[in-house]
Amino acid sequence: MQALFAWSSVALGGGSVMFVSLLLFRRIRLYRIEVERDQAEERLEPLALALVSGEETEAVDTRDAGVLAGLLSRYARQVTGDSRSALADYFEASGSVDRAMAALGDRHAWRRAAAADLLGAMGSEQAIGALRDALGDGSRDVRTAAARSLGRLRASAAVEDLVRVFVTADVAHGVAGEALLGLGSAALPALRALTHHGDPGLREAAVELLGLLGEPADSPLLVARLRDSAAEVRASAARALGRLAAEDAAAAVRGALDDRIPFVRAAAARALGEIGGRDAAPALLALARSDHYDAAQSAARALARVDPELLAAAGREEFGQHVLEAADRAAIRS
Amino acid sequence: MTLALQATAVVALLYFAALNAIYLVFTGIAWRGVTHHLRARAYSGEDEAFASPLTPPISILLPAYNEATGIVESIRSLLTLRYPEIEIVVVNDGSTDETMRTLVEAFDLVRIRKALRDAVPTKPLRSAYVSRRHPELLVLDKENGGKADALNMGLSAAQYPYVCAIDADTMLEEDALMRVAKPILDDPSVVAAAGGIVRIANGCRVDHGRVVEVGLPRSPLATLQVVEYFRAFLVGRMGWSRLRSLLIISGAFGLFRRSLVEAVGGWRTDTVGEDVELVVRLHRYLRDRGEEYRIEFVPDPVCWTEAPEDLRTLGGQRRRWQRGLAETLWRHRGLFMRPRYGVLGCFGFPYFVIFELCGPLIELVGFPVTIYAYATGRLSLPFLIGFFVVSLLLGVLLSVAALALEEFSFRRHSSTRDVVRLLVFSVAENVGYRQLNDVWRLLAFVDLARRRRTWGAQQRRGIGVRS
Repeated sequence: MQALFAWSSVALGGGSVMFVSLLLFRRIRLYRIEVERDQAEERLEPLALALVSGEETEAVDTRDAGVLAGLLSRYARQVTGDSRSALADYFEASGSVDRAMAALGDRHAWRRAAAADLLGAMGSEQAIGALRDALGDGSRDVRTAAARSLGRLRASAAVEDLVRVFVTADVAHGVAGEALLGLGSAALPALRALTHHGDPGLREAAVELLGLLGEPADSPLLVARLRDSAAEVRASAARALGRLAAEDAAAAVRGALDDRIPFVRAAAARALGEIGGRDAAPALLALARSDHYDAAQSAARALARVDPELLAAAGREEFGQHVLEAADRAAIRS
Repeated sequence: MTLALQATAVVALLYFAALNAIYLVFTGIAWRGVTHHLRARAYSGEDEAFASPLTPPISILLPAYNEATGIVESIRSLLTLRYPEIEIVVVNDGSTDETMRTLVEAFDLVRIRKALRDAVPTKPLRSAYVSRRHPELLVLDKENGGKADALNMGLSAAQYPYVCAIDADTMLEEDALMRVAKPILDDPSVVAAAGGIVRIANGCRVDHGRVVEVGLPRSPLATLQVVEYFRAFLVGRMGWSRLRSLLIISGAFGLFRRSLVEAVGGWRTDTVGEDVELVVRLHRYLRDRGEEYRIEFVPDPVCWTEAPEDLRTLGGQRRRWQRGLAETLWRHRGLFMRPRYGVLGCFGFPYFVIFELCGPLIELVGFPVTIYAYATGRLSLPFLIGFFVVSLLLGVLLSVAALALEEFSFRRHSSTRDVVRLLVFSVAENVGYRQLNDVWRLLAFVDLARRRRTWGAQQRRGIGVRS
């Protein structure tokens, strides 16, 4: 027994010393890495700026390519057009794109994810096919990084793939959504087609995104979705029409105030607040006076936007707490 | 007597071996989990989420009872959070100090009439206010009913689909809300709740509700808690989260889907452990319905809190925590070893019953039994010394591993002197402090028998004051 204790003590003491050593080693190493990275960034910054300006530059070695890509990715959001193409050309010519695409097949998921992320920063359209394939990777991190990069590359060919992963949550929801929004008008044809899809989840997502990316001309399509069999799609359509401030859809949205599902009525009330127009005021007042909490709150707040005079006049006890609250808040704002 | 002694020895040894084996495995899981989290953060799209119109708004619930000293700083830190859309619902739970007057003056509050949901019954609302300068700040002044009651009123007033419950004596870091919300934003249909890490603000330099320089407290008692929190959060909660059996989201900082909290009836007012009780109830509710869900711990959204610096307050806090845990485990005893609740029922829940609830008793009974066994010649001195050394080294290894994990991942303490001091306290906490904790946790059963129930307020110096 004593031998067991002795060996255990040695093992545990050794383990503790190992952790302390690791801790100190890590501290020193990270400090060195940070210093080296700062130096490399300082050295490569003129090159990065030259690339952004479209000037001729020399290729850098593999180690610097990663630092350079990281540096350029900071500018990437602001860089468009010829400068963006120049960056992509540079990374293609230096072999960085090929190396990153090869790394998408690495056995370590974190390396595949890092490669997918880097491809988005490099801005090369050559990577779109590989990144679309990476949306089917076994690792969620890799799929998420690929979706993010497809958005940064404005890969309109990937709209359907991105909507699919947006709905199935195969990638981080916000990342897929933002990637689709990043595509801008290029995503619209596919999104419009998806509003008729058999899967209500896809319809809901497509309608939601149309509200953010769409045009006034999309309002008939969205009005049709106000009669969708799925309540989530109806609510999404109301929200979308509100975001588009679709005045021509006001009557249809007013009709949605009578929907049997409270959250659809709430969405319709909020939308009417965004669309504006006093025609909706009586219906909003009625809803604010008598509906479930969320619908009544939304209606009262919408009323404050479309007809403040009516709200002020109605700010009496008999119109209920929601109207009173909205009236008090409106009084403070004014 | 010999038989009883042998049985006690066997139980104590099994307990010791199992507990330390679990801790070691959890340390490994936590290292893996934190490493993965940090790698994934580079491409998780935090900036996109901040800019995205798809990111759902959040209602922050801040219950307050006699928090006049620190509440203004706390709210200021919330007003500067980096998140697209929030509302802050402060609920003054019938404070007897200057909390309400302080709030009215600091934020230029104006009285309004407020509509409330009636999903969860609460004590009556006295009055409601909004800030003229910050329209997103709502203050509800209600009759005293306890922290859970105050949270429930906040829930009734919240307008957004997610609620984040935080303590009034805490400060969130600028990115904390975005980071704790990330799992929910990434997978909104599955992630039901998420909690962040709580760190100790004593010794840090605070400016306008922000920790601007991380330091260590001068008080040894508070420094011991810094080390203890590393282990509890980075190792314990990370491990449970990875096993999908996270039972505790700290009341100081937790994000929940509002509809779900309403569906289970809000926070319970008849327990002092309303935070742990809610999480266990959510698990039970969702598993009973066979729904796919996750309750996650996220290691980098930081909530800073003021730790007690005197034994009396710290003891009171630990007794309250243990009492809350005991009440929750008893109320939900139906989860114990039930395969239908998966890892939670067969491992997580039994762990909390055996090691967290009964652990102090087993550990403290071990001392007199060991002394008795030695005195009566049933234990040799070499065995006694050997066991003591192994126990001590195991404790040191686990504490140092947790500190190394912190240093590897987040490196909040930039001063090497602070790290060395933490190392010393990682060793020191195993002699005396842990045993003292056991005593407090055992005393919780006395409180339980007396049915003591309080808000557990501590004497505050104000979170912005350097200790």
